[in-house]
Amino acid sequence: MIKLSALLFAVALVAGCAAYTLVAPQRQNVADVISVEPGMKWNKMSQSAYEGHVEVWTLDGLTLNTLVFFTGVPDGEPLFVPRFADKARMEKPPVFRSTMNPLEIQELLHATVARFFRTTLAEERNLRAVSIAGGRGFRFETRVVGRDEVERAGVFVGTVAGGKLYGAWFQGARLHYFERYLPEFERIVASAQLTGEAARK
Amino acid sequence: MNRRGFGCALCALAAMRAAGAQTLSEFVEPGHRPPPDTDEGGLWGLMDRAERDLKTSRFVVRDRALNAYLREVVCRLGKDHCPDLRLYVVRTPQFNASMAPNGMMQVWTGLLLRCVDEAQLAAILGHEMGHYLRRHTLERYRDARDKSNFGAFLSLGLAVAGVGLAGTVANLALLASTFAYSREQEHEADRIGLELMAKAGYTRIAAAEVWEQLIAELAAGTVERSQSVLFATHPEPEERLGALRAAAAQAGGAEERGLERHRTGLAAVRELIVRDELSLRQYGRSEVVFDRLLAQAPGDGLLWYGKGEVYRLRAEPGDLARAMEAYARALESREAPPDTHRSIVMVELKQGDKARAQAALDAYLRAKPDAADAGALRMLLEQ
Ligand SMILES: [Zn+2]
Repeated sequence: MIKLSALLFAVALVAGCAAYTLVAPQRQNVADVISVEPGMKWNKMSQSAYEGHVEVWTLDGLTLNTLVFFTGVPDGEPLFVPRFADKARMEKPPVFRSTMNPLEIQELLHATVARFFRTTLAEERNLRAVSIAGGRGFRFETRVVGRDEVERAGVFVGTVAGGKLYGAWFQGARLHYFERYLPEFERIVASAQLTGEAARK
Repeated sequence: MNRRGFGCALCALAAMRAAGAQTLSEFVEPGHRPPPDTDEGGLWGLMDRAERDLKTSRFVVRDRALNAYLREVVCRLGKDHCPDLRLYVVRTPQFNASMAPNGMMQVWTGLLLRCVDEAQLAAILGHEMGHYLRRHTLERYRDARDKSNFGAFLSLGLAVAGVGLAGTVANLALLASTFAYSREQEHEADRIGLELMAKAGYTRIAAAEVWEQLIAELAAGTVERSQSVLFATHPEPEERLGALRAAAAQAGGAEERGLERHRTGLAAVRELIVRDELSLRQYGRSEVVFDRLLAQAPGDGLLWYGKGEVYRLRAEPGDLARAMEAYARALESREAPPDTHRSIVMVELKQGDKARAQAALDAYLRAKPDAADAGALRMLLEQ
């Protein structure tokens, strides 16, 4: 018994993430709904394995560190799905609901990670309320071991505005690529504003 | 871990000789170990490398009681071949098992959850042993080589190498262990599996049940049957089911099920594998799986909790009430996970009843005083 498609998916996951553009350390628009001011040069992936209402940045390459912006996930949509997988062969992904509380959103990320990274080794902890982009938000820590056996630590920060989910999730391969850039992530989060149609009224 | 070398090692295999004039129509001898300079020895070498990686994988479940239990079942089926077989439990919630030519077996936790009793598990293990005993991978390899279809075989190896570069150890080992068997080989493995089951005293109808259950489960999922990977890579399940049923019907045979032994053997990891199943959010399929297990164990608190979670997480109209019913059944048993109370907090919050949510939180913290998410739940109650 064997699932070859899972293998091909894994190959595609790696093969499909080459194109990126440089992000300068100055105020930046993320999908016209989030505005942030990074302090370092980032790379914005023009096409990553993440498909959905997301924008993906990295400093050293996606296997080492990844910053996923959630740019307004609407009710009924998944957080993200694997771009290169054959969707017809996958069970329907779990979706975001605008009525979800922070703990339910944390559970949703857990399930999304389990699917996307095909892992059973994922944990979230320390969920708490925070103020973000001038409104009420939440934050929790993540830990994911991928099929490459590498453990990645992360922080997820999010807020629901106008029924849509906005947020940022930074992950880095422990220890170096997470701790080293955590201050940069905190800086980005502290600078975050919702803009355009996402601006709080 | 030198995975880049995997594809090339496979190239080298092409140059190796077939060992003597041996035929593959008989079972391998117990203690079999091919000379390293033969094609079979080359295959074993590849698998030995994959196995070394697997041994250190974080996804391998090392619980001693579980592994001792599975070892017992393997030995009961494999008898003299038992010392040649090594079984690894991989923490992956899908239904899958595999056998490598060197005797490395893998069983995924999703398969363990889906076996109602030991006889069903024995059906799977017996089938996989059939592949080993008749050296199906070697047969497949030689067949591909003789038909000058080595490219197809090789490209699979290169794909393995590609995955190796991506660093997916568990995938590598799994793929390496099964170069897609032919339909005839699958049927033969079924026949051998049934023989081993009968000799070991297991009821053979369990083999048909496994497939029956899988067909029913997939029908409850959201994937079109024509798209199902499982159905695409194996003989038509109905055809297989028919053959297995017919074989089981011949002669009376043994009756053993091993329901209790199976339950005890899995005890230490049951909660873990139920949680992993829930993370998949394949609501319809999980419901079928839990219902089937509950039919055998109607008072099982963990299973009622799992069923409740399916409904809470699906959250379609009527689901919250269904979830609460299931949690109530869980709490009637003595073995309800403390998290049942946590789930009740979540449902009561959803329904806007803070007093009841608070009462459930109190019960949760009594059952699990060191709950890591206590602060998060308090935050929700305060909002
Ligand atoms: Zn098979």
